[in-house]
Amino acid sequence: MQKRIRKHPILSIPDKQTIISFTCNGNVYQGIKGEPVASALIANDIHILSHHPKNHASMGIYCANGQCSRCTLLINGKPQKSCITPLEENMSIEILDGLPKIPPDDTPYHGKEQKEFECDILVVGGGPSGLTGALECAEMGYSVIIAEDKNQLGGKLLLQTHKFFGSEEACYAGTRGIDIAHILSEKVLNHPRIQVLLNSPLVALYKDKYAGIFLDYKRYGRIHFNGLFVSAGAREKSLVFPGNDLPGIYGAGAFQTLVNRDLIQSSQRIFIVGSGNVGLIAAYHALQAGIDVVGICDILPYVTGYKVHADKIKRMGVPLWLNHTILYAEGKDILEKITLAQVDDAFRPCMNTTKTFAVDTLLIAAGLTPIDEFYQEAKRFGFQVVKAGDASEIAEASSAMVGGRAAAQELARALGKKIPPPNDLYREVNLLKSKPGKTWDIPPFTLTEKFQPIIRCSQEIPCNPCVSSCPVKAIRLIPRRQDLMDIPEYLEGCTGCGNCVSICPGLAIVLARKISDTQAEIVLPFEFIPEFSPGDNIPLRDMEGQDVCEGKIHRIRYDKKTKTHLIHVYVPLDNALSIAGIRLREAKEDDFFENPAPEYFPNDALVCQCERVTVGELIHFIQEHHVRDMNQLKVLRAGMGACGGKNCSVHFPALFKKSGIDIQTVTPMKYRPLSMEIPLQSIINEEENS
Amino acid sequence: MKSYDVIIIGAGSIGVPLSYYLSQRGFKVAVIEKNHSIGRGQNRAAIGGIRATHSDPSKIKICSRTLHLVRSFKETHGYDVNWFQGGYLFPAYTEKDECALKDLLRIQHTYNLKIYWADEEEVKERVPGIFSEGLRGGTFSPEDGSASPLKLIDAYGCLACLHGVDFIFDEPIKTFKKASDKIISLETSKSVYSAGLYVDASGADTRDVNSRLHVEIPVFPESHEGGITEPVQRFFEPMVVDVRPDKGSSNVYFYQNNEGQIVFCMTPEPPMKGKDCDNTSDFLPMVSKRMIHVYPRLRALRVRRIWRGLYPMTPDGLPFVGWAPGVTNYFLLAGMCGQGFMLGPGLGEMTANYLADNSEDFKDILYHLNPLRKFESTEMLK
Repeated sequence: MQKRIRKHPILSIPDKQTIISFTCNGNVYQGIKGEPVASALIANDIHILSHHPKNHASMGIYCANGQCSRCTLLINGKPQKSCITPLEENMSIEILDGLPKIPPDDTPYHGKEQKEFECDILVVGGGPSGLTGALECAEMGYSVIIAEDKNQLGGKLLLQTHKFFGSEEACYAGTRGIDIAHILSEKVLNHPRIQVLLNSPLVALYKDKYAGIFLDYKRYGRIHFNGLFVSAGAREKSLVFPGNDLPGIYGAGAFQTLVNRDLIQSSQRIFIVGSGNVGLIAAYHALQAGIDVVGICDILPYVTGYKVHADKIKRMGVPLWLNHTILYAEGKDILEKITLAQVDDAFRPCMNTTKTFAVDTLLIAAGLTPIDEFYQEAKRFGFQVVKAGDASEIAEASSAMVGGRAAAQELARALGKKIPPPNDLYREVNLLKSKPGKTWDIPPFTLTEKFQPIIRCSQEIPCNPCVSSCPVKAIRLIPRRQDLMDIPEYLEGCTGCGNCVSICPGLAIVLARKISDTQAEIVLPFEFIPEFSPGDNIPLRDMEGQDVCEGKIHRIRYDKKTKTHLIHVYVPLDNALSIAGIRLREAKEDDFFENPAPEYFPNDALVCQCERVTVGELIHFIQEHHVRDMNQLKVLRAGMGACGGKNCSVHFPALFKKSGIDIQTVTPMKYRPLSMEIPLQSIINEEENS
Repeated sequence: MKSYDVIIIGAGSIGVPLSYYLSQRGFKVAVIEKNHSIGRGQNRAAIGGIRATHSDPSKIKICSRTLHLVRSFKETHGYDVNWFQGGYLFPAYTEKDECALKDLLRIQHTYNLKIYWADEEEVKERVPGIFSEGLRGGTFSPEDGSASPLKLIDAYGCLACLHGVDFIFDEPIKTFKKASDKIISLETSKSVYSAGLYVDASGADTRDVNSRLHVEIPVFPESHEGGITEPVQRFFEPMVVDVRPDKGSSNVYFYQNNEGQIVFCMTPEPPMKGKDCDNTSDFLPMVSKRMIHVYPRLRALRVRRIWRGLYPMTPDGLPFVGWAPGVTNYFLLAGMCGQGFMLGPGLGEMTANYLADNSEDFKDILYHLNPLRKFESTEMLK
């Protein structure tokens, strides 16, 4: 039985897919033509993709994004990253054991000249900011090439099955990310001045104003450009803890890729580290895909993501462990359990508070780092360059879309176009990327016999679809700040249409009315496939995730546009005003067990996963060899691996600090091309011998 | 003002081993470096090949000593520097190259170097799958090899520190204070230091440093590009040097290092003069083509990283070793022509011995690599 998602409340499951056969270590498996090899393997329950040359440790997928190289295995005899290689009929795959052996292909050289491209503006990455930026540039008359490393445009929008915050006019608020991706890529693909190179990552920027591009992951070409627009997104930060290298531990973004893009039922029970929006949304996506979320932890004493996101997760029954850190992970070859501990005021783990959870997957949502190496290089070379989206600053895609337009205008100005600075757009960007603001008290509600929205949106975030979707303008933002961050309130005149309920990205609105002296009717949003029908009783919860009572389903409506069900339930009148959502999972007693005397060896944690260099080794080396330059750590091979030091170098400052050295006195890692490994055969454009 | 017996300018491939050997001979040594740590000039760009099989007797002598030191480094000092004795192989595809290589062989034999003419079959055995059309055999030197520049300089740095060498980083030289024909002290961006003896080991910066002393020696840096692939299981052992000129390059060479990675480099033709170390777009396609031409089996390997490094070139391709003209306490170790890594250990040890006890052994090198020499011959394989 393949681990594939066969039903999903939001995503449509394609009915026409070509099922093909491939072999892995000699056994025959089935997969879908064109899906990444890694996804096909995980669908067949194969999670260990290689064994490290150093100590035979098993390795699995980590980024699912071509950024690391932990999913490398042998495909038709050659080492390749399985997360970016499309599956083909009769492919022969071998799990890598130690260093690969190269195939003895002695056919004489038969290369071809590289492909040459020319454009005014080269856009690196076709995500939310790249797409709006490219459109803006093209509208100003520039010829544009978008280099996109995936096989479709949209970037992270394609993984976002949730509805967007923001305002409808600026950034399609209330629309789901995947739908925004389609709207924008339509526009881009139909634009006569934009050329799109899909499946083609940029691998180097050269001083002679060329960019090297890995075309279709098969050929090499170079692009001459005038201005560079870097919208390459972000990479997920890894976390350093013992056991962090086990297969089954990966980025929340990688999880969303597997689940939402490739429709793989990658896991049964997951735990998430990090309560930012990425972690909270990953939990929601997991539940939508039928994967149980055992809990979310954060080392901070508060939720760092939007309150409405956290609230809806809590209502569904996922416990949040604040002030808790991941201590270590364990498993024989593959993740089996994780152990958390509460932290003290200095964020040190308290060993008598440990809790162990049995899970098969741990998602790391510990933040993102901008992919801006090309921007930095271009600056150094003196090119005209701008950056936008996550490559510029980690924020919501809503701000990235507006930011892309602003950056495009900025680049045009740098290239000599006489236009004023895009100050209005910048103002909007700043608003959209605002961190959550003040939380206000919600005034008490009173029930009437007419429907009215109960709006539990109390934290200032940049969002207004409830206001713009109301056909009778019965909702407004209370003009305290006079901007998008203001809190909404109900005025009067509700028709009970439910638009605000189904569009609210935070699921923070219900409709309520009194129907008798003992009963009320509540209309709740539901973004899952209802496994209940009118007449059934369902468990209802309050805002904080506490059980309130059961409600009897009266009616189920479906809003096609927002792909959201509206569930009408009858509840006791006394409870009516506290009901905020439907409980989906129940915290079970055996979710975790106390583990009072753990064996904890923090120095064994890996920092550089490519070359397996530990915290202990690095600290010892820094102290013994008087290291004041991160590049010296290469003696231990830290940062010398396939990812080019992109993943481990973010941890180096903390290691210097631990070694008692002021990081200000330490020289940072030097970036060198290539940003992704590329076969010699591709560089000389030899057609593959298949 | 801090004073020392010897101040070395430059903590690179030359200066760091020298500092260690000087400290061993009892000198109080400081190494002054403009960068933030050791080896951040051109050592970081060296690809790691070490051979004694040159055509110039001085270089042969120095590199033979380096080979001895590096080969026994782990035994002697306890540091693993990734020494691998894979030999150097120069395959010949034309009659002209065969003749040139065989001529060189005769010279090399006069210096008792272990190098011989390997026939076509042996070449194919040593580099399985090498392009065989027109292959006529090649020279093979089994005692040459490679080590990690990064690890070797780190090891020398540690040894030097243990022996009391002061490393002074982040301090570019500003001025020298002179009295008649002697240096009294030198001033960096931060402080003033004095010593009885000063050594120039400033690599590609040598002309800049020497201009402050009005010492003129003709060292002009050129930029070369190199790269490295992912590691794979070992499939060949020697450094392969393809000496056939092609459009844009006069040769290409590559080997599989101790980690299993292929390290490669190309000599650009015409030379790229100057100190620019930023990559341009021509190199990668050009070097890839050349490598697969000579060794098709490399095609499956993925390139991990490319970089540029500087070759401080002299008019005849030979280094300058000796007392600086007009300054009596200033010793030049300059213009290593891209071979500082393989010259460094041997040259460091010999220089230290010469400075300690005026060893006779060094006199022929001082004569031969004299900074004031006339540039008559040219090194055959630079």
